[in-house]
Amino acid sequence: MTLKSLDPRVKRLGIPEEWDTPLSPKETLDQFENYEAFIQVKEGKALEHVGPVHAPNEEMAFLFAKEQYSRRGMFCNALCVVKTENIIGTEFSDNGISIYDAVTAQPSGIENQSYEVFHLLKRGKQHKYVGTVMAKDFEDALVVAKHTYPSQKPVFNVWIAESEHILTSNEEDKDMWETLKEKQYREAIDYKGQDRIKAYKERMGQA
Amino acid sequence: MNTEALKDLLYKIADDQLILGHRNSEWTGFGPLLEEDIAFSSMAQDKVGQSWQFYKILNELGESDPDTVAFMRNADQFHNCKFVELPNGEYDFSLIRHFLFDTAEGIRFNMLSTSSYEPVAQLAKKIKGEIKYHTMHANIWIKQLGSATEESIGRLQQALDYAMPYALGIFETSKFEADLKQEGIFDGEEALKAQWLTQIGEIIAETDLRMPEIQSLQPQLGGRYGEHTEHLQPLVEEMSEVFRVDPTADW
Repeated sequence: MTLKSLDPRVKRLGIPEEWDTPLSPKETLDQFENYEAFIQVKEGKALEHVGPVHAPNEEMAFLFAKEQYSRRGMFCNALCVVKTENIIGTEFSDNGISIYDAVTAQPSGIENQSYEVFHLLKRGKQHKYVGTVMAKDFEDALVVAKHTYPSQKPVFNVWIAESEHILTSNEEDKDMWETLKEKQYREAIDYKGQDRIKAYKERMGQA
Repeated sequence: MNTEALKDLLYKIADDQLILGHRNSEWTGFGPLLEEDIAFSSMAQDKVGQSWQFYKILNELGESDPDTVAFMRNADQFHNCKFVELPNGEYDFSLIRHFLFDTAEGIRFNMLSTSSYEPVAQLAKKIKGEIKYHTMHANIWIKQLGSATEESIGRLQQALDYAMPYALGIFETSKFEADLKQEGIFDGEEALKAQWLTQIGEIIAETDLRMPEIQSLQPQLGGRYGEHTEHLQPLVEEMSEVFRVDPTADW
């Protein structure tokens, strides 16, 4: 069987004409690395996962995340980014079952590395930050997390990252999220069309 | 309180912000990356919003209302430095300008946060957060592109060399420098410039860029008292095009 197409997009793929011929290896793409962004929407709330960004380094990832996921003044109080490859995730558990049920080991007692722990409590929702644990490696961190942050509801999935791999906005830079309140010119609501629309409707109703 | 001195100070701050805000807004839809497009647009709105606040203070000091002041003057009535009115050019120049200008602005507002004139001190404190983000944004980009590739370093260096004489025009001294200092309103352009040189020098030192020889440069002055490049009048006309169709229209 041979594959033929007139579509240039298909031709560009360089699919061999003979079926089952192995594809030629692709060149490495010059691509930014993936980072995951987490946002704290309000003082006192947990940081929660909002999505990925692609960036050449941590600081740039922070900027891109800020532009992409935060709204100043209202919906952001803190932001952190971590390279996706530095997050280790567990398997997903089935409904009603916590992923921690499968964790039976005891904490090693060696606490030489700091890890940050994120829980997924609802399918389709975001991973939320639960806290820090001290452990010797990822597996151990999962064990310690099970004991340190017991959850009433099943935890479907856990993300763990080394604390030093996370770039978080500074507490003293919190004012960065503040903005002048008087920005009505940015809001559609400031254009007072409603009165005129109402008057028009009334006129039309009477006519 | 020397009101004339105060107005002179407020006008140049507000006009710098309005004009640079307008220039930055021209990046909307043209940014080199989606995030940069959003960032420049958002910072542009911050700047215009800040200028409005300063025009409101001027209004309380007896000047016309903010819209009239912003949209009904001609280029020779503006007090902004020439630096902010220059066309955006390529992204390298816009980024260098953003870095040089916003660093100065950050220091200026930090100084003004202890001003003896309370409304300005209050406002300076209120906008500290916005400016903190602007300078952080600028610094991260300069550090990134200033040490990335031969092309990015070369472009930024060229932009920096071109921009520097204009940037020095930010610190054109006021007729009222002594009065402002004496009344504790503002510590003066020279003090601001000294801090600015240190701060930009620190960031540039973290890159492969060279700091231009400041002593050998001729600062581009005149903007503070109405002397502008040919680029300002077209900008003002475009910016006020809609407003001038019917200045009495109710928005």
